[in-house]
Amino acid sequence: MRNKIKRLIIFLLLFPLLAGCMGKREIDDLAIVTAVGFDQGGENGKVRITAQIVRPADARGQTGAPSGGTGEPIYSITAEGESIMSAMRNLGRFSSRRVFWAQNFIIAINEKVAREGITDIIDFFTRNHETRMETWVVVTPDNAGKLVSTVTGLEVIPGSALDKLFRYNEIVAEAPRTNIMRLEESYLSESTQPILARMKLRNREISNKKPEEFGSINQVELSGTAVFKRDKMVGWLTPLESRGMLFFIENVQSAVVVLPCPGLENSEEKKKVSIELKSQKFAVTPRYEAGRVEFDVKLVTYGDMVESACDESLDKMKSTLEQALEKELTSEINSVVQKAQKQYKADFLKLGEVFNNKFPAEWKKLKGNWESEFTQAKVNVKIEAHINSPVLLVKPTKSWKGGPKK
Amino acid sequence: MSNQPNEIQNVDEMLKQPFDFSLEKNIEYIEQIIKSSVDFHNRRFVFHAARDIKGICFYIEGLVNGDHIERFLKTLMVTAVEIREFSDETLLGPQLLEKLKENLILNSGINIIDKFEDAVNAILSGDTIVFLERCQKALQISTKGWDARSVSEPETEVVIRGPRDGFTENIRTNTAHVRRRIRDPKLRFDPLVVGTRTKTDINIAYIEGIVKEELVEEVKSRIQKIKIDAILESGYLEELIEDAPRSPFTTVQSTERPDKVAAAILEGRVAIFVDNTPFVLIVPVVFWQFIQASDDYYSRYWVGSFFRVIRYIAFAISLILPSIYVMLVSFHQEMIPTALAITIASGREVVPFPVLVEALIMEVAFELMREAGLRMPKPIGSAVSIVGSLVIGQAAVQAGIISPFMVIIVAITGIASFAIPSYAASFSIRILRFPLLIASGTMGILGFAAVFFILVIHALSLRSFGEAYLEPITPFLPSDQKDILIRVPWWKMDKRPHLAQGELGRQNNGQMPQPPKGGKVSVNKEQEQSSQDIEKSSKKKRTWRSNRDEE
Repeated sequence: MRNKIKRLIIFLLLFPLLAGCMGKREIDDLAIVTAVGFDQGGENGKVRITAQIVRPADARGQTGAPSGGTGEPIYSITAEGESIMSAMRNLGRFSSRRVFWAQNFIIAINEKVAREGITDIIDFFTRNHETRMETWVVVTPDNAGKLVSTVTGLEVIPGSALDKLFRYNEIVAEAPRTNIMRLEESYLSESTQPILARMKLRNREISNKKPEEFGSINQVELSGTAVFKRDKMVGWLTPLESRGMLFFIENVQSAVVVLPCPGLENSEEKKKVSIELKSQKFAVTPRYEAGRVEFDVKLVTYGDMVESACDESLDKMKSTLEQALEKELTSEINSVVQKAQKQYKADFLKLGEVFNNKFPAEWKKLKGNWESEFTQAKVNVKIEAHINSPVLLVKPTKSWKGGPKK
Repeated sequence: MSNQPNEIQNVDEMLKQPFDFSLEKNIEYIEQIIKSSVDFHNRRFVFHAARDIKGICFYIEGLVNGDHIERFLKTLMVTAVEIREFSDETLLGPQLLEKLKENLILNSGINIIDKFEDAVNAILSGDTIVFLERCQKALQISTKGWDARSVSEPETEVVIRGPRDGFTENIRTNTAHVRRRIRDPKLRFDPLVVGTRTKTDINIAYIEGIVKEELVEEVKSRIQKIKIDAILESGYLEELIEDAPRSPFTTVQSTERPDKVAAAILEGRVAIFVDNTPFVLIVPVVFWQFIQASDDYYSRYWVGSFFRVIRYIAFAISLILPSIYVMLVSFHQEMIPTALAITIASGREVVPFPVLVEALIMEVAFELMREAGLRMPKPIGSAVSIVGSLVIGQAAVQAGIISPFMVIIVAITGIASFAIPSYAASFSIRILRFPLLIASGTMGILGFAAVFFILVIHALSLRSFGEAYLEPITPFLPSDQKDILIRVPWWKMDKRPHLAQGELGRQNNGQMPQPPKGGKVSVNKEQEQSSQDIEKSSKKKRTWRSNRDEE
């Protein structure tokens, strides 16, 4: 017994000695990266990475902390290297603290880099144990370094502002929520082609000090989609097409469709109705008949009329509006299907996956040749739109001066 | 000096001897055994001058109540007159003693003894011994009475709802507290004496039929094995009988609350009362008992259960919170949410110490303040807390020595450790915090897990008087779960814990109160009857009163 205890005490006393060799690093010895951008390096084949690093003393959203900062919440540094890893190591030349990737929110990839291939990026961020699998990945037509070092949004740390853009973007529903895990998943998939959200710097912020220089400050916009084929980017989807695509790959929570007032479609007067889509049921049913692949796309949507400049109440316009809405959505979905089948010849709509689930045996025969099968597949879109309520106003909002007639 | 061991031997021998025939010899013996002291009194008196019956009484001042002595001396005086007419035969020693024993009705406890050992023990425990001439026996008269602290509220175990009386230093008062609560003829207090010099009274309390007999035997045999010169507090006894003397966990519960002891006895446990201390020991004990407070049982079961859960949280916090913080901040920063990580990092920006050192400094400072506050005279105690909170809480952060987060962690930990009702248990948790802290500060989650598992395995290996320490969680006893994590309502607690034996039933089933069907309070016939009786009797009273008024 006594021996045992002695041994235990010695064992415990040896703990601190082991500490020297373990990977101990205090939190204040870390340069916490919140966003990283990938650009093409100056020389051919080199990678340039830009890291947005938090300056904790200034990033704390309150006073009272002992600080001697510049007031800037972030510190951005850039470095080049032959590979991602070497570029990241080269960041250490400038950073007084150990660069720490586990809190990274977002990976921004420059369009040029994306068009050349992103296999190394996918590999690096999934292989490395310090990086997280739910880091957002975006493609930007701008300089990625500029994008990540821009102080944006309402958040103290720009990285978390970009993170929240993604978190709350289901209201806008114009860009897929792509993180490393989904990217990896679609990259490894036999059928699905990867897509990434698009971020762009736009002059949209108005300076409080110089409001006359309207929109003089850059803000980051999350809208649109980059389409990949294998590891290379092949093109963009517009925000509207992105929404059409989102029906296929995610659940669209909410979307706004603007329609002209019934009867005024071709008139000079541009009076419009806004329909907010509230809940959607979307289903893709694959069919395999006589060696031909077909897909039945069915969307049942329920919406509210949230804005109307028309002179009629919803009751009277309902059927016309529903038809117009169905038409609008059909063209929206058709346009993205067209783009996938004809322009990019890339199945980013996960149609192959749906087919595989329903016809696994047939899929085995077709998968080698899926690209041509997919492009030739017939996609029947059927929409069933319902407009439920005019929200709080039952009667149309119109001027009643001069009697009830118009 | 040389003859000292010889003398002691003599004393030992003398103790074993019976009384002598001669009074003078007895006096000589007693005075040799009990060394002369200012508080050791003897009082000689002549009982029957003609027949030369002299007597002497021995007592120790301070241990005896003067009234008692006065009372029996008075009685002796009265009987002395009577005695003059006694026949010669009656006046012989033993018969006289018997006669006296009959006559001394004003005193409660009277015994006839015939050994020096008994006499000395009686004198030293506050009784008075009366020797008579030509008598080989002596009278032992109970005259115990000394100044003792009165019953007051126990300071270490405070309740909001519940009895406010606490044990005192007097063992008889203490046993009376329990006897008053359990009016059961089967409640037994078995006496034992431990301590070769202190001869401390120890009482073992249990209810026959509920307690397991082997348990009582085990407790008794463990106590009887003790050979020690002094037992000054139940802590001595606790350390001498506990199952795991080297463990940081305590396997004996000590309490100042009579209601706790009564509850434990009713559950089939054994309570050990020790004279001269208000702390009564309860065995066997399971770990979870240290987290139960008496309040749990007196307030409504929702409240009791809720606060019990809160106390479990407090237990977890006080044991592991600093370790988790240190571990996360110095090893596993990826596990902290980003916003929190940045806040922590900003607070630590200027702190010159590693987190572990910072944590150790603060923990030690906190323990220091707690200990200082405890030892200080009460008026100065508040000064300690002011200085402590100002210096540690405010100045250390402003000076940049300690990060504000660490102050919060240590404060929460400290508060949580005060929420554990048992003082002894909160001590062991406090001590266990340090190895956990050091392990997690040097090896991260690996060290934390290692030490934590050592602790858990150790706790699992413990026994307290034959019961597993973590019972009834492991080994899992479904029937005993009613009073562990939550406290079920009293009408659901049908059975005693399995610890008890024999009559396990505690109450009838289905005692959950219900309003009568139909919503009306119906009075059944018996009740009506009895209420009529009450009315009648009250009428009678009235008449009686009015009669008196007339008188």
